[in-house]
Amino acid sequence: MIQSPNQRVLQWATFARIWWLYDAHMQCPFKSSNKIAHYLQGKHKPVYHPLSQIGDHVVVINSRHIALRDDLWRTFIFSSHTGYRRGFTQRRAWVVHEEDPTEIIRKSVYSRLPGNLLRKGHMARLHIYPDENVPPDILKNVTDQLYPILSIPKRLDQYTEEEVRNFPKLFDWPEDHKLHPGKPVERRGKKPVKASEENT
Amino acid sequence: MAGRIPSGFIKSALHNGVGRYVNQCQRITLKFCKEHGDSRGMRDFIEQELLDFTRSNPGVVMYLQPRRHRKPVIVAEYLNGYKENLYVPNYPKDEICKWVEHLRCKQGMTPMRLRKYQHTDNPSIQGIWNPFTNKDPSANVTTYPNPNVRVSAPESATDRLLKLAQELREKDN
Repeated sequence: MIQSPNQRVLQWATFARIWWLYDAHMQCPFKSSNKIAHYLQGKHKPVYHPLSQIGDHVVVINSRHIALRDDLWRTFIFSSHTGYRRGFTQRRAWVVHEEDPTEIIRKSVYSRLPGNLLRKGHMARLHIYPDENVPPDILKNVTDQLYPILSIPKRLDQYTEEEVRNFPKLFDWPEDHKLHPGKPVERRGKKPVKASEENT
Repeated sequence: MAGRIPSGFIKSALHNGVGRYVNQCQRITLKFCKEHGDSRGMRDFIEQELLDFTRSNPGVVMYLQPRRHRKPVIVAEYLNGYKENLYVPNYPKDEICKWVEHLRCKQGMTPMRLRKYQHTDNPSIQGIWNPFTNKDPSANVTTYPNPNVRVSAPESATDRLLKLAQELREKDN
């Protein structure tokens, strides 16, 4: 069909890829990656068709600050096999996250994409950054932001001192009462840090 | 590629029916044998139904062509030059009635696999969709990351407790 130049440009606009930003701060990586994989494949578009490749780019920031529920940092295990004998390795989520803070999101998005030849291309359109420092040439493409999955709760240190002081109490502790300070946690290769030092 | 059906899109000949309707089937020829059992149903149709059919469809010319000891066939010809032969040996009269009616109503398009079962000349008034259709224009002046994009939390237990305490304090005062 012969098209006018205007129609041709409209056609390009319809199939254009756009860039989304996703803030992973305090978000579950597994629930988030369902949404990210959806957008990487372009399934949110009314013109979606599995044969037309119109997936969007997704820029994930703050991947270092993701939140896992329950005890999953310790119990969630990433397994891999090199293919050679004795090549099977298993790593806990916190180990994986310490080595590369973008790895958990990348792996879970990868697992949610369909296992066909398009998966490599979809993954190439996923850009993950551990914090808010995104290269300006990436950030300038971003035209919209995805809504996060979870609401972010307010931490105790985010309340003002006055709010903490005025918090309703049923009774006051006696003057000589000593609250249990808790046992300092020993981490691999690190000295135990006291709670008072951590806050400063 | 023998046996491959050509594909195409649904269309009507020259927007038929937009103004007046012109029946696209112009001529039907009934070929039959006067004595063979094959043509029994066709002969019954000619004796009992043909005159009614011609009276109700004056736009279609009916030809009769007796041929000795050949299979009966209905030949329909259309305005676009398409011609269809339908062999009806041993068909009862009722079925021949249905097939003649079917051929009369046809548009005369070459049989093809339809890629879509619907068609419109005016696909969209709004215009073809693009990623910025129905987007909030404030996105033009937003810098990203945008802190306002967040999930509003439902009222937490802490909030409820604070509200309750506030009410109690007011009551005491």
